[in-house]
Amino acid sequence: MDIIPQIIANSIIAGSVYTLIAVSFNLIYGATKFFNITHGVMTAIGAYAVFFFGKQMGLSVWVAVLIGVLIAGMIGWLLDRFIYRPLREKKASQLALLVASLGAFTVLQALIAIIFTSRFQTLTHGVGVQKTFEIAGGIITQTQVLIVIAALVVTAGLMFFLKCTRFGKAVRAVSDDNEVSKIIGINTDRIIGIIFFIGSAIAGLAGILVGFDTAIEPTMGLVLLLKGVIAAIVGGIGSIYGGAIGALLLGFVENFGIIKIASEWKDAIAFGLLILFLIFRPRGIVRT
Amino acid sequence: MEYLLHLAILFSIYAILGLSLNLIVGYTGLLSVTHAAFYGIGAYATALLLIKTDIGFLMSGLIGIILAAIIAFLIGMVLSKFDGDYYALGSMGFCIIAFSVFLNWQDLTRGPLGLPGIPKPEIFGIEFSTSALFVILAAVILIAIYFACRCIANSSFGRVLKTIREDEQAIQVFGYSTLYFKLTVFVISAMMAAVAGSLFAAYITYIDPSTFTILESVFVLAIVILGGLANLRGSLLGALLLIMLPEILRFVGFPGEIAGQMRELTYGAMLIALMLWRPQGLIGEYKL
Repeated sequence: MDIIPQIIANSIIAGSVYTLIAVSFNLIYGATKFFNITHGVMTAIGAYAVFFFGKQMGLSVWVAVLIGVLIAGMIGWLLDRFIYRPLREKKASQLALLVASLGAFTVLQALIAIIFTSRFQTLTHGVGVQKTFEIAGGIITQTQVLIVIAALVVTAGLMFFLKCTRFGKAVRAVSDDNEVSKIIGINTDRIIGIIFFIGSAIAGLAGILVGFDTAIEPTMGLVLLLKGVIAAIVGGIGSIYGGAIGALLLGFVENFGIIKIASEWKDAIAFGLLILFLIFRPRGIVRT
Repeated sequence: MEYLLHLAILFSIYAILGLSLNLIVGYTGLLSVTHAAFYGIGAYATALLLIKTDIGFLMSGLIGIILAAIIAFLIGMVLSKFDGDYYALGSMGFCIIAFSVFLNWQDLTRGPLGLPGIPKPEIFGIEFSTSALFVILAAVILIAIYFACRCIANSSFGRVLKTIREDEQAIQVFGYSTLYFKLTVFVISAMMAAVAGSLFAAYITYIDPSTFTILESVFVLAIVILGGLANLRGSLLGALLLIMLPEILRFVGFPGEIAGQMRELTYGAMLIALMLWRPQGLIGEYKL
């Protein structure tokens, strides 16, 4: 059997997961200009919310997913309201914000581990019950199809939303220049709050989809975040479109990389790609 | 008594980590979260050489330090081109790579099984087999490192580092190659972290990858920031407080697994609180 179609399929699936994280990370970075480490743990929050409401409480899958996405969004909004916004008001540096988000990341991850233990859990009930599709020799599961669709819808939706709505215009204004936006009467704190909600909700969705595809654990967020941020930098930091391109590139490089190298080294390959870009094209493909 | 000696040894090890990280984060103003990687390199190199050869503790520690220096040099070549959040992200990526090497290079490190039965150190015929003797060794090394850091901080080299922190471009105008200075301090700091790693491996006599995750780096960062940036006595204070903290939590009486998570939760929350209300730490001279 030829292995190439399967690798292409895997690359697109991985790329789609990274897209969700990279575009939402870029959305938040664009407006706040700091590396929000907590973004990673939002994936675990979404996934564990679905685990709790769907599997332990027995709600239907779609309701649980909706609740999970909303909870991730809410926690993102709360973090902004009670940690990042006061820091912005004190004119704290980007590094101070980064350290605070690192702290929040550690707290949330530890909380999840305390509540749900740090064991691996699955979101689905059985193993191997998923419907699979075969496209040009590559096999993908139903969840993976959903991942690809979600990535397309979210990216296209965000781009439309930013370009064509009044709110999107305000977001772009805040991303461009926070001070001037304030002067012309945009409520920047409110806009940034909403951006945190949307971005965190997208990250939660990514975590949920990964959870259905493989398994969940409290520490799942860090590697997902790192991949998302690598994709965001490779594509062009702060740009939605760039994030998606970088994510796809990262998906392909990783999956074609492990043809020759053992798959444990995926993370190393991703980091290698980041270093190449940092040296030769630090502002990313789209050059933000 | 044995228990107090144990705490004193842990304090010495973390104080060395804190002092050396303060050179990068406090004095040079670069947020590095890769300290656990060099700590691990020192620990693994020492452990492997002590188990597999009979060259003794001093030689194996020295080889560990040289190895950490070489790797720090290569990583630093890339990292030193950056500052701010890019530096933080790059260092985070490297920490994850180092962890995956400890975990996946099973022929050498035995992966998650770890390395048991590391012999206690023996220097000039004295075997440091009891805690009372080991605490002397650890304290002597800590004092040596403290004075080395003080020399660096008060030298003209240290003044250049502080200027890089305040205004990198300004000092470039005066003809200083800031890349060279950032690289040098990174290598020195990594070598000191490797010393701490050697001590740790020889004291605990068992190491596994889970000690050298990014959370360990965050813990050392918390020591540095709590005590105070750009203040060496602050790092000693920070290490003392954060080593005592889990012991206090132990008396509160959490069950085993939760106790570890509570420790992480506490120092995560502490980082947030410090950023919000006291970004320079207890006795720091610089704030992020």
